[in-house]
Amino acid sequence: MVKNFKKRSIALGLYILSAIFMIPIYWLITSSLKTNIEITRIPPTFWPEQLAFENFVDVIQRLDFARTFFNSTVVSISATLLIVAFSTMAGYAFAKKKFLGKNFLMMMLIGTMTIPATVLLLPLFFVITKIGLYDNLLALILPFGVTIFGIFFMKQYIEDIPDSLIEAARIDGCGEFRIFFSIIVPLIKPAITSLVIIEFVNNWNSFTMPLVLLRSPDNFTLPLRIGLLAKDTVAVPWASLMAGNVLTVLPVVIAFLFMQRFFIKGILGGSVKG
Amino acid sequence: MSNKKNSVLEISKPKAVTFKTRLRHTKEKWKASDFSAYIFILPAMIIVSMFIIYPAIWSLVASFRNINPMELRDSGLFEVVGEWIGLDNYIDVLGNQLFRKSLLNTIYFAAIFIPLTMFASVTIAMLLDKGIKGSSVLRSIFFIPYVISIVSASLVFMIIFAGDTGLVNAVLAYFGIESISFLSETGWAMPVIALMSSWRRVGYFMLIYLAALQNIPKSLYEASDIDGATSMHKFRYITWPMLGRINMVVFILLMIFSFNIFQEVFVMTGGGPADSTITVPFLIYNEAFTFYDMGSAAAMSYILFAVVVFVGVVQHKINKNKLDY
Repeated sequence: MVKNFKKRSIALGLYILSAIFMIPIYWLITSSLKTNIEITRIPPTFWPEQLAFENFVDVIQRLDFARTFFNSTVVSISATLLIVAFSTMAGYAFAKKKFLGKNFLMMMLIGTMTIPATVLLLPLFFVITKIGLYDNLLALILPFGVTIFGIFFMKQYIEDIPDSLIEAARIDGCGEFRIFFSIIVPLIKPAITSLVIIEFVNNWNSFTMPLVLLRSPDNFTLPLRIGLLAKDTVAVPWASLMAGNVLTVLPVVIAFLFMQRFFIKGILGGSVKG
Repeated sequence: MSNKKNSVLEISKPKAVTFKTRLRHTKEKWKASDFSAYIFILPAMIIVSMFIIYPAIWSLVASFRNINPMELRDSGLFEVVGEWIGLDNYIDVLGNQLFRKSLLNTIYFAAIFIPLTMFASVTIAMLLDKGIKGSSVLRSIFFIPYVISIVSASLVFMIIFAGDTGLVNAVLAYFGIESISFLSETGWAMPVIALMSSWRRVGYFMLIYLAALQNIPKSLYEASDIDGATSMHKFRYITWPMLGRINMVVFILLMIFSFNIFQEVFVMTGGGPADSTITVPFLIYNEAFTFYDMGSAAAMSYILFAVVVFVGVVQHKINKNKLDY
């Protein structure tokens, strides 16, 4: 009896805590459905008096969200594809191959992990400008086409594949690339899925680099668009802005909810083991 | 692994290595190399050296130079323009009032953010670990804020903490407390930013703590049950000490995160009110892209880098000692 009561009170406490955690999300959704007049009311209403779905139409038409959404999609998907391809390739070489300079290169990669993103802000802007990619969506794809996290994450999973499997394929006359594509890649599909979802979310949410590397609004990505909109306009149309915010948040939240098993595995694989 | 040990031994006994033996080793390794490996690492290495290592080096050199933005426009990719001025940029930065203020602001942020995040994530993880009904759904709920971008979260917190129209002030008014314009009062702006950062991060660290809790052997708790320990005792003498190493790791991660606060400041306050939320990265951004003072931005970022490396080294030392028990 006592134990049951204790468990119930723990459950109740957790339900209340999770409800508190959801308040910002509740507020985001309800605000996106209020009219621009209702959202400025004092005191605020807890539920929209009339559901203003026209905010979404407004944000898509007036604020050119279709274009922005398209930019974000292109950048995130391309960068993720590059990250997965290049990290898996490098991870495979570091896990299974012997070559001169391997230890040195791995130490170097670990070393670069200590560099704070802020240090690269200015010089990366310089390099990108000099190679002519400033204000080009490629500037958000190419430089971010591999992550150190990705390399070590893949290396860790590929190490678990028995060497004998690779040897057997080699004896059967498989070329190096055939081994990679028809033996390694199929065996680490779950790890690849984890990396895809984690890197997609990271690139989708990226703000600082687009801020530094893009200039024309036509090229803006979603976080940059809404971030600058909130700063720029004198009278911010908050309800429309929140509608835009919902559209920004929705893809990653949906991706997370459908693939959370892979997402959580990836997070734990990268931090606790390493 | 064995290679590493050998090289350490060799360094400690300088007699053993001559240049020739080194060269021979290298040659042997080169012969034994699987050359396809270089093709596999090539794309990754090009990107890392071009977009991480070279920029970091460029920035280091730039921090010792007096760079004119106009000159910079005409410079080549592989040159750093400007007159060599030694440590002048560093001396300027260390004497800069705003830089010192930004360091203090960062500490203020960390002093709220780190304890809050650690306390909340340990507590939630321990409650979830009790295995109640629906704990996997709850786990997802706590984790959702982590996938929401900093910008999106900042915008939501801006309207929640808005002067008169915000949710928090409405609740305060209900209890008869006068409204506070959180984001335009010097004492309140930073705590709101810290609260938002915590909200986003708790789910992530909760996961790490959950994994750590599941690694604590159940036999320890069973043994303490026999001894008649209360749950307070169990926490004090089993759970907390067993979490020691992970606490250290989490603390360091949160500290490094605190040094990198930029987006939330940029969106929510723009450094104000009265410079009370200017952080080091925000100042670096402003120096570089608003005032075009490249040298001082580079010097600041290397001071930040040094602090992060210092923290990492200290962590490494402490971890080593802890593991030696």
